[in-house]
Amino acid sequence: MRFALAHKTSSYLMVLFAYLAMISGDAVSPGVALLGLVGLGASWWWEPPRVRLERWTLVWNILSILVLVWAASTAVLTGDFLGVGGAFLTWLVVAKAFNRRTSRDWQQLYLLSFLMLVAGSVLNEDVTYGVAFLGFVLASTWALILSHLRREMEDNFLLKHADDKASERVEVKRILDSRRIVGGRFFAGTGAISMAVFVLSAAFFLTIPRVGAGFFMQGRKGQTYAGFSDTVKLGSGHGSIKDDDTVVMRVEIQAPYRGRDAPYVHWRGVAFDHYEKGEWRRSRQAPRTELYIDREGTRERRLLRHEAPRATQAELEAELDGLTRHHVYLEPMDTDVLFTASMPLAIDLEVGRRRFGPRHDQNDELRLAHKGELKYTAYSRIEPPPADTLRAARRVIPRGFEVFLQLPDEITARTRQLARDVTAGLTTDYDRATAIAAWLNDNLSYTLELGDPGNQEPIDYFLFDRKKGHCEYFASAFAILARAAGVPTRQVNGFLGGEWNEYDEYIAVRAGDAHSWNEVYFHGVGWVTFDATPASQDRLGRGGSGLGARIARWIDTLRFQWFKWVIDYDLGSQLAFFKDIGRFFQGIGRWLEARAQAAWAWLVAWWFLAVPLALGAVAWAIARALRRRDARPADERPRPRARTPMAALYGRVLKKLARRGLARDPATTPRELARLARDRGVPGAAALDELTELYNAAEWGAAATAEVLARARALAAEIEAALDAPAPSAPPPAAPAAPAVPR
Amino acid sequence: MADWARLRRWLRPPRKLTFTREGRLFVLVAVGVGVGAVNTGNNLLYLLLGWTLSFIIASGILSERNLRGLVVRRRPPARVFAGQPFLMEISVENAKPKLASYSIEIEDLLGGRPLDKKCYFLKVPPGKTQRTSYRHTFARRGLYPLDGFRVATKFPFALFRKSRDVDAPDEVLVYPALVAVPRPAPQARRPGEIVSERLGRRGEFFGLREWRQGDDRRDVHWKATARSGRMLVREYEDELTRRAVIAVDNALTAEALAALEADDLDAEAEAQLAALERAVSMAASLCAAYLEAGWAVQLVARGDGVAMAAGKAQLGRILRALALLPPVGDDVELTRFDPRVDSVLVAPRGVTAAGRPARVGQVMEA
Repeated sequence: MRFALAHKTSSYLMVLFAYLAMISGDAVSPGVALLGLVGLGASWWWEPPRVRLERWTLVWNILSILVLVWAASTAVLTGDFLGVGGAFLTWLVVAKAFNRRTSRDWQQLYLLSFLMLVAGSVLNEDVTYGVAFLGFVLASTWALILSHLRREMEDNFLLKHADDKASERVEVKRILDSRRIVGGRFFAGTGAISMAVFVLSAAFFLTIPRVGAGFFMQGRKGQTYAGFSDTVKLGSGHGSIKDDDTVVMRVEIQAPYRGRDAPYVHWRGVAFDHYEKGEWRRSRQAPRTELYIDREGTRERRLLRHEAPRATQAELEAELDGLTRHHVYLEPMDTDVLFTASMPLAIDLEVGRRRFGPRHDQNDELRLAHKGELKYTAYSRIEPPPADTLRAARRVIPRGFEVFLQLPDEITARTRQLARDVTAGLTTDYDRATAIAAWLNDNLSYTLELGDPGNQEPIDYFLFDRKKGHCEYFASAFAILARAAGVPTRQVNGFLGGEWNEYDEYIAVRAGDAHSWNEVYFHGVGWVTFDATPASQDRLGRGGSGLGARIARWIDTLRFQWFKWVIDYDLGSQLAFFKDIGRFFQGIGRWLEARAQAAWAWLVAWWFLAVPLALGAVAWAIARALRRRDARPADERPRPRARTPMAALYGRVLKKLARRGLARDPATTPRELARLARDRGVPGAAALDELTELYNAAEWGAAATAEVLARARALAAEIEAALDAPAPSAPPPAAPAAPAVPR
Repeated sequence: MADWARLRRWLRPPRKLTFTREGRLFVLVAVGVGVGAVNTGNNLLYLLLGWTLSFIIASGILSERNLRGLVVRRRPPARVFAGQPFLMEISVENAKPKLASYSIEIEDLLGGRPLDKKCYFLKVPPGKTQRTSYRHTFARRGLYPLDGFRVATKFPFALFRKSRDVDAPDEVLVYPALVAVPRPAPQARRPGEIVSERLGRRGEFFGLREWRQGDDRRDVHWKATARSGRMLVREYEDELTRRAVIAVDNALTAEALAALEADDLDAEAEAQLAALERAVSMAASLCAAYLEAGWAVQLVARGDGVAMAAGKAQLGRILRALALLPPVGDDVELTRFDPRVDSVLVAPRGVTAAGRPARVGQVMEA
């Protein structure tokens, strides 16, 4: 690829990925996002020599001022600073892309890209940000390297023809058109670097301590899902949402509630005690949610004791062990309700440094003011107590629980009579509730097509005229009939079931899983779930098994992992992550220790085998090394310095001479030394002359024969004897100075 | 001194890292993102922070890989004259077997500091050598010790400039500047002396050539003839070759010399030093002019000199001596020369020094 094209392509990719990261959220309007995309695409061709950019400078300046005025006024008027900021950033990027001339313009484009990425971190928390970020990392590595090279060559390849003339860029065009600078290898190599950068980024992300308070966090906006509602008004448009498969929360749960065939779980949200004119509400008199809060650091455990007395820590732990633990990852919703499997007894959640005053939740609802998504762990007793236990419960209405028997005056006489008829002869609340649920199941059918009751009381219309309805009608009818029969009952809203995701093994609860059911109070036991709606109401079920459904679940897995490991990653997750890593290494350590101990035990037991084996292995290794050495060419093999017998003799004489003060300088040849010895009258000089010649002949000519060696030995002995003789009156001359080297 | 140099080398950090403009901006942005992440708790900002940190680390590792395995060599020109630009050839060999090195800057180090010129290599493929030259001018004559190279790179992202100094000691001898000077007419020539244009017969040995018809048999070089198998005869330099002595007075006044040694030059000392440099330059130019014209030239100076000889090699000897000629006091005598030979004394203007020869053909002031 031509250098210039590679640089341009990678730079545009970098800008594009940053742009996608920003606009994938809903903050920037689709129109602006599309215009920006078109503008970026058109700017690809808007460059010299096709266009003389300087002619258009005024136009761009005027347009920029207009856009600035529009952005400022719109932001002030609408208050949507983020959205307008995103739109203005889009304009800046497009304008810069249309006016790129020098390497500095490219750099400004890169800076704007990074700003878009930062803006995207606030405007878009979806997994699309992650995908765009990955692309950005890849493209930015290429773009920044190529941009650097381009700038360097523009700065360095200058040629001056004369001192008084400006430098000219030479060869730059040739290199920009060259295909030899960057090729497939370059892209592959730098692509691998990008991946390494990405992995390292992830490592940094996971390890940087989460000490932030999150005071200014701009979370995702809460979504309004048609399925779930904080209030219930019979006859409102509930039916239209049953096919909505938008995921509202994901739950990791223990067995036996995992898998496509697992029993459905009621995900409890809100509960109502007061019914009037076809509408369920929380009355002022409704009992408060009895919560005990244990706080440890930034984590909080909320215990719902219902009417039970506060237990000791050990009792609590024991009680929680018998419950179903599940982790809930809640998508942003326009409610502060925390959903849990019914019935919850405890909930653990990260609250950061925020401290809340006592809340006034009612009807065992759990709420937490939060922005964006939230995750928590809940402990629930999902399976109801055995029927015998419920039958054995005494009919006692605690103080304040009278509200759960409330019936408005408009409840018709035939409705009240129906309750009496259905429960006639039954003595326990459990049997009464079961009979009512059975009657509703047997005599009424499920539909999403609602009739218009007009002025008729909605329950009466449902029970006697329409005889069809959806879950809210069934639940409301159950509550009214049960209350009419004297059974304390409340209406509950939440979700039922959910799609089982086989890739990451969690339940994805969708908006279409919204559901209503009831809870019946049993003294000494607590609230027990009763669902009178026929099972056929579940349209979404556990999700399809076709290719499209599987792909959708795989994408949802990706999204779930993204929220779990990126968006919702907090100090608690970090500690859990490091604990997991610690456990992993501890496991490895234990495994190694066990293996070492086993090996040592084997060695001790089988030493008579192990020792010969070890010796054999060492011998084999040595033999192999020797074989390899021999296999190498002789000139590559390290050789010790060879020293002939003649050289040894001569060396011995040199040592002797050095001891007598005639050390040979490295620059002095043997003959020069011999001459020096002769000139200075060193004893044995004549013999040294002859030995030197023999030494030279042997070292530089043919190898010395035995006769020559014998002669050399004799000469060496003669020299040594002469040197050992009593010293003459004058001391031996000093060593010669090194010859001056001409500079 | 050698120990100090070794200690300095040992203490020298292996790499130097300086921020570029882009690098400063990048770090600033990273800090901003970090502060934003901590303040908001926005995990995506933490992700961006991780990316910026990873980018910086990747930059460090890649620049290190880029600088490794590079062998830098220089090839100075044969002669460098003061005041004249020259080209120094720099070659970079990438000894890495597989990885190319990109965007390499090489600077020559003089006295531990880089010269003002650098060489840039866009890409050095693995196992290949690339060459380029830098153009430089030394203003003054002398021996310039080059310590080594500074090998630097801003690769890959131009966030930092990483450099390492490589020892490659070398010396550049800068000859005095050659200027256009009129070659003075011979002054010490005796009347009636003949200038011969032919070679003489019994002068300094000049060389060997093949025997030609008419050559004196006494000139046959028998050993060389026997060795080569061809009849070779000796040639001799012409005894009547014109000869000249160029004397340069490199003496400064005692005050100027003291100021020079104390490295505290006043205006007077600076003027003397400039005059001396001009004199040296003029002497070099005269020598070159005479030698070019075929004369034999002897250089005479205080405490130094070059014996009489002709030819290109003599010019090299004289230029070398003049390049290194130090200023001395006038107590140092000029080397001896034959007063019968033509001579020119080049003396720095404005410097009065004792011990100048009485019998000299001509005196020129520079």
